[in-house]
Amino acid sequence: MDQQYLEIEKLGVRLRYKVRYQLGFACPDIDDVVQETLRRFLDASQADRMRTPGAAGAFLNGICRNVILEYRRRLFRDAPMPEVPPEPPPNRLPPTELFELRDAIAEGMKQLSARDQQVLRAFYLEERPVEEILELTGLSPANFRVVLCRAKEKFRQIYSGSMKSQAAS
Amino acid sequence: METKLHADPVVREEIIAKYLTRKLDPAAATEFEDHYLGCQECFEEVRATELLISGLGQSCIERTQDRDVTVVRFGAPAELTASSLDLHALARIVQAPSETKVLIDLSQVSRIDSAGLGMLMRCYTHAVKNAGTIKLLNPTSQVKRVLSITRIDSVVPTFDDEKAALKSF
Repeated sequence: MDQQYLEIEKLGVRLRYKVRYQLGFACPDIDDVVQETLRRFLDASQADRMRTPGAAGAFLNGICRNVILEYRRRLFRDAPMPEVPPEPPPNRLPPTELFELRDAIAEGMKQLSARDQQVLRAFYLEERPVEEILELTGLSPANFRVVLCRAKEKFRQIYSGSMKSQAAS
Repeated sequence: METKLHADPVVREEIIAKYLTRKLDPAAATEFEDHYLGCQECFEEVRATELLISGLGQSCIERTQDRDVTVVRFGAPAELTASSLDLHALARIVQAPSETKVLIDLSQVSRIDSAGLGMLMRCYTHAVKNAGTIKLLNPTSQVKRVLSITRIDSVVPTFDDEKAALKSF
């Protein structure tokens, strides 16, 4: 039972992320959409309506898309439809979350070597093609793969360590 | 997509980065969501990349004050090229209304192109219009060569010694 509860909790976290991505972090009804999706998902699972249990993610995503569509329809039911479709919400961390994580992120960045930072910035921020980054840094494709994975892993270790120590203090 | 995501970390990172910046086409984005809603490993990668991108987005430009002179330095290797974020971050700092006497430390700048040179000249014009000036410190040999070819070094004073540069304001 505990294991099942943990699984549902993990599912809820992933689902919340997806809903936030679709509706924007400022949407006040994110939790309602997540709860409704989870309720329908659990109902369907208990009634054995999931045809491919191995594709639970896709099944959940389908339910979530329906719930989001219904939510959007309900929002626009009374208000007139805009002539120009609204821009998708910006995908950035909510300011409060960013504020909480700021020190941990900064700590993570500080401890990365200059080359790692250069590679990460070129790949993620400047969105340069891998070939251009290889030319710029003189790395081979295999080395680039290693540098990218190690740098990200190192960043993850540093910020999670930094967050744990923040929580303990 | 599932096999592609787990087979090659670089491909996975490319997909995640495009998803986070909303550059993944809708069908691929849905497919990716189908996957990460059921895969904790990929979801954690998405979260880590999101934090990493916000960390990388924080400007690595350091600004210090020496009397009425603002000294601007790059905390990590940088490029002043059209696609570089450093260029825009530097322009924002130097063209602020209050900044009229600015010393830009170019020791970490490995490359400069016409966009970078244009930005330097715009910053110079901004400073002169506001009864100030900008000066350059420690350009690398490559940048020094470009400044010399374009004769910008005859307009914008360039120094190799910080004390001398500060004294000259």
